[in-house]
Amino acid sequence: MESLFVRYRNLLVLLVLLVAQIVGLATQVRRTDSGRMGFDPGDGSGVRLLRLWANAVVSPPERAVEGSKTGMAGFWQNYFDLRNVRKQNKDLQDTIDRLRLEQAALLEDARQGQRLQGLMNFQQKYIYSTVAAQVIGSSGSDQSRVFYLDKGKDAGLAVDMAVITADGIVGKIRDVFPHSSQVLAINDQSSGAGVILETNRIRGILRGNAEGEAQIVGILADQRIQPGEKVLTAGGDQIFPRGLPVGVVEKVVRDPDRDAFIDIIIKPAAHIDRLDEVLVITATQPRFSNQQQQDISTSENLKGAEAAEALEKKKAAEIMAERLPGLIDPNLPADQQPLHETSNPSPVIRPPLPLHPDRFTPGAAAGSPDSGVAPSESTPETPASTKPRSTESGSGKAPSSASATGKPHGTGTGDTTSSSTSKAKPATPRPQTTKPQTSTPQRNQ
Amino acid sequence: MPLLTANTRRDLEVHRYPAPVYLLVPVAALVLQALLPRFMGRYAWFDLPLVVTVYFALGRRSPIQGTFMGAILGLFEDALTHHAIGINGIAKTIAGYLAASVGIRIDVQNNAIRLLLNFALSLLCSGIYVFIYRVLLGMELDYNWLNELFRALGNSAVALILFPLLDRCQVRD
Repeated sequence: MESLFVRYRNLLVLLVLLVAQIVGLATQVRRTDSGRMGFDPGDGSGVRLLRLWANAVVSPPERAVEGSKTGMAGFWQNYFDLRNVRKQNKDLQDTIDRLRLEQAALLEDARQGQRLQGLMNFQQKYIYSTVAAQVIGSSGSDQSRVFYLDKGKDAGLAVDMAVITADGIVGKIRDVFPHSSQVLAINDQSSGAGVILETNRIRGILRGNAEGEAQIVGILADQRIQPGEKVLTAGGDQIFPRGLPVGVVEKVVRDPDRDAFIDIIIKPAAHIDRLDEVLVITATQPRFSNQQQQDISTSENLKGAEAAEALEKKKAAEIMAERLPGLIDPNLPADQQPLHETSNPSPVIRPPLPLHPDRFTPGAAAGSPDSGVAPSESTPETPASTKPRSTESGSGKAPSSASATGKPHGTGTGDTTSSSTSKAKPATPRPQTTKPQTSTPQRNQ
Repeated sequence: MPLLTANTRRDLEVHRYPAPVYLLVPVAALVLQALLPRFMGRYAWFDLPLVVTVYFALGRRSPIQGTFMGAILGLFEDALTHHAIGINGIAKTIAGYLAASVGIRIDVQNNAIRLLLNFALSLLCSGIYVFIYRVLLGMELDYNWLNELFRALGNSAVALILFPLLDRCQVRD
């Protein structure tokens, strides 16, 4: 007997180990309600202990590798990307302002939705708080699409919490250890998430296939589904809040097992194969949280301030429009309005005639003997078109003070500025100017 | 055929390694197997714990040691997944036993034999995995045989590089 044991000890050891593992496997499998076999969702104490050991062996080196990688990347970013921080900050501020306005615009829709949900007795969950975590490792097997996070029970994580990124959903927490946690990705064959097509409103269950693609299963073949259509979470699985992006439809294939059904292959919005940081939704609320209410009120205030500013600008524009002289004279027929005058493309607006002209009145000083200022210094440059109007005024003043004083232009008062100004503006209205030919000889002097 | 049989003293000697190697190499294989797929995505066609199991089983030429090495690495690999613990354990237990049993009879220093052995044992492991999952446990599992073939080729390629490196750790008399 002893010789038999010695002779076949290798085989016996193999058999003992195999039988022990098969028995262990049998204790981990249960028949589900649907009659199918499935893994026991709650690990036994022995299984749990083994998972804990494996995690304790593998996690520290993974954490060290990830930490050194993050440290190097952080140094690089902190040092080199700092140059662009100011511009990025301004861009982000602009984005925040825009998003605040958009949020305020969506607020009313959300409130209406809440009222309707209240009527239908359906509680909509909103993301209340999240915890950022780093992906440190994976299962190493393509039959098991799970990965590990560097945060666990100590950070408040628990089983069945949703894991997302800014792009879309990633998976749910399957197991939690003291300092790490295991996440089941949405492209695993045993995962399941309620999803809905954005435009068709077709609902389905998202799970993975053998190639690691995410697919919606159990859709009737008569549905018209176009590639590129967006897929969102439906919110009925009690894990993912409603409306989070899942991905877009990549293609539609026939269900290999059931002829009447199709499978929709999804291109996930989140890069599930190359994840670094994720967010774990640690709490949801049936109503807006205090923080969200505060944000909404801020948005409303900002929106109100912006609307008030726009209204103020509009009022100011109206007042300015009232005060400025109009281009339409109500006393003239329509065909004689200045705007319809075609002879002069830039019509000259003449000021009204003074009731009591004095020496400061433009052109009126020409008649005063002590002024010494030529009343029509710019007369020679006055365009010919102004001539009839000058004569129409019928002032009968002296033709030119320069000819009377015998001085050149602008020297009487030493005010060269006024002289040069008048020369630079030949079209300046001069209602009481004299005929242009009177000053022409003086220019020749 | 004489080239393939272990008939010289050198071929029949049992390889010995420093004690830390027995611990560090399997742990490194588990850690790398968990880390590398993050960077390689779906192209991570290798199974480092299986390659290490085959190496030590061939080197030690002890079916019992090969069996235990395969069982431990397989169980730890299972523990990192969300599946039941024991599927990979059974597959690698058998692989370790077979590798050690074959190592007694053939020249394990030959690269062609190493390559073929890794290829065959990788396919065997995949077959055992699917058998346990679908037949023993009666559960649904979609699998792609092309992926398994690529993994077997990948394991062979890794073995060609890794085995000479690990040979340098041997304790020479």
